[in-house]
Amino acid sequence: MEKVYIQAAEQISIQNPLSEEWMDNPIVYHEPFVKAVNPAFREYISPNEARRMGNLMKRALVTSLKVLKETGIDHPDAIITGTSIGSLDYTEKLLDTLVENGEESLSPIYFMQSTHNTVSSAISIYTATHSYNTTYSHGGVSFELALKDAWMQLYLGQISNALVGGHDEMVESYFELLKKTGYVGVEGMVPCGECAMSMMLNKQASSENLCELAGVSVFRTKSLANIRKQLALLAEKAGINLEEIQTVMTGVNGNPLNDSLYQPLLDELFSNAKHLSYKQLFGENYTASALGLYAAAHLVKKQGIPVMLFVNCTTNRDCSLIILKGI
Amino acid sequence: MEPIYITGAGVVSAIGIGKEETLASLQSGRSGISAIKYLSSSHQDLPVGEVQLSHEEIIERLGLDATKPYTRAALIGKLALKEALTDAQLYGKSLDEVHFISGTTVGGMDRRELIHAQEPGCDRDIAEIATHNCATCTEMIAEGFGDFASMSTVSTACSSATNAIITGANMLRCGLAEIVVVGGIDCLTLFHLNGFNSLMILDHQPCRPFDQNRAGLNLGEGAAFLVLETAASAQKRGTKTNLVLSGYGNKCDAFHQTASSPNGEGAFLAMREALDSAGLKPSDIQYINAHGTGTPNNDESEGKAIERVFGENYPPVSSTKSLTGHTTSASGSIEAVFCLLALEHQFLPLNVNWEVPMEQGIIPVVKPVPHPEIKNILSNAFGFGGNCSSLVFSKMDD
Repeated sequence: MEKVYIQAAEQISIQNPLSEEWMDNPIVYHEPFVKAVNPAFREYISPNEARRMGNLMKRALVTSLKVLKETGIDHPDAIITGTSIGSLDYTEKLLDTLVENGEESLSPIYFMQSTHNTVSSAISIYTATHSYNTTYSHGGVSFELALKDAWMQLYLGQISNALVGGHDEMVESYFELLKKTGYVGVEGMVPCGECAMSMMLNKQASSENLCELAGVSVFRTKSLANIRKQLALLAEKAGINLEEIQTVMTGVNGNPLNDSLYQPLLDELFSNAKHLSYKQLFGENYTASALGLYAAAHLVKKQGIPVMLFVNCTTNRDCSLIILKGI
Repeated sequence: MEPIYITGAGVVSAIGIGKEETLASLQSGRSGISAIKYLSSSHQDLPVGEVQLSHEEIIERLGLDATKPYTRAALIGKLALKEALTDAQLYGKSLDEVHFISGTTVGGMDRRELIHAQEPGCDRDIAEIATHNCATCTEMIAEGFGDFASMSTVSTACSSATNAIITGANMLRCGLAEIVVVGGIDCLTLFHLNGFNSLMILDHQPCRPFDQNRAGLNLGEGAAFLVLETAASAQKRGTKTNLVLSGYGNKCDAFHQTASSPNGEGAFLAMREALDSAGLKPSDIQYINAHGTGTPNNDESEGKAIERVFGENYPPVSSTKSLTGHTTSASGSIEAVFCLLALEHQFLPLNVNWEVPMEQGIIPVVKPVPHPEIKNILSNAFGFGGNCSSLVFSKMDD
């Protein structure tokens, strides 16, 4: 098949928004839960429109609009979003109202923005784009499923570019709930953050592209043997030998429950490779891997990394492998 | 595109548990819409299409552990998945290389509602359930059947199941899978019953799709899953049927978060793409299973789009939501199974409660009428945010 490239990628997170400042001057946090650093939304969306939107939607729209501007693409061939918990803020507000007032006097605004597909839809509405539009909501691999969908359609020749995003917000009450599950807020781990990341995939070769997206695979972890098998399949399709993988980026975050998912893989297959991680910068979040892939793409470009393997394993036994190549 | 074989199907809705009951209801035009029985809601004046089984009855029927905190969505989903897998002769180990893609929007929201008030005082186990994310719903449905190769959850509101079917079809076409199980599930929850109510689009009478006096939708619940298979795999397993997914389209209306455009642009584009990918002309379609929610806005917009694609002599159209209510995320796969039953048994599903024609609108099929052989059916599902998708199902010549 023709090659697929990551043409541009932007983020809003707990690092400085819409910039790569994290590379040289990262913000360091010591709190267990940190909200994203919002940019000046009015530079991108009129205050009148922004007033009706929740944070998640505003952030997703701004990262998308910036990517569209950078790539000069007004109407992408596909808009695909991964979000695990969607507009959590509005969902929680609706539930609070149900608890407090019973089934009376609910605001339609909360409901309208509480479905997970509001982000993808908002981007379509804002840019008047009628093309393929979908949303994946599958925990920690929501973003990769969105990326895989885009990749499949590029492969089938149904589209030639795709705007793919990973977006999740967090609120205090939900953070407290998640803490009980041992997913975030564990002693010694990175903070729980928020994520808005949009990237453009394109078939068009250009020296301006960040890197090549050589393959995406999402599967049930099952066993180390299965990860090995999936990796071999992916590498073959991507046209590389496993020995060429000298850099591996993972989602280790200081939480033993999470880090133990990566250790056997690193020990057995990549003991000699350089190990990079991103959650110490961007925090933990259901779509943190979107920020991870964003960071990976920029690092491949800036540091001239020839081949990078990006690994995301979740405690729910989902796993994704992505191969990036320098251009 | 190459046709994709449908080698199994399971369906649960207000009009039946399983294909047999469902077929009988469809053929007789028996509606499952009635007063609220299972959901604990103060809105007793709102008719709904509930699955006629309680939590305990489903647990007993499936032989599950009654002490486990299953969500209603998961239980309904399990009923449908079990039928689909049995139908396709897929058991235990044989699921290792099968991929599972489910569409949902409210996920495990019913449990979340129950415990929202007691957070953060709840314990860890309850917290796990209370995180209600859509993936948990998919995992809970699949649990106990086997170890799927991958799992995925699509969430595009009322077109979720249709888009799950499209994702699965793309996986087969890319050679990433030989068998996928696709579909969707939503159970009734206070969350969306009250949400839809806040938008003032719920009819206080049984819904009347395509009727001049229609006044909104009735919410329903249910699940359906299809087993999609490549020709080579179905041949090898001896499961080949003559029912296929022959085309699909996904387009965005890009108009409004909760309303359809007046000329049905998204619906028009999705239907046209589905026909194009199937290599069919509008005149090749013998029946359209409309999205037809019964809201003034949808039925007018969809009707316009149908006329734009098919012209004045459009094929027979009906909305089976007049029987099931709007099963939101599940509607795309539930109605897909209805289409398969219509192809297999050669009948036109009826649109009940219809009396007064709309001004310049679609006139649906309200009673059995003579029809040519049904070979190709178009099925529509449109979601909030303008997520419009259409599928074409066909009966291959023997």
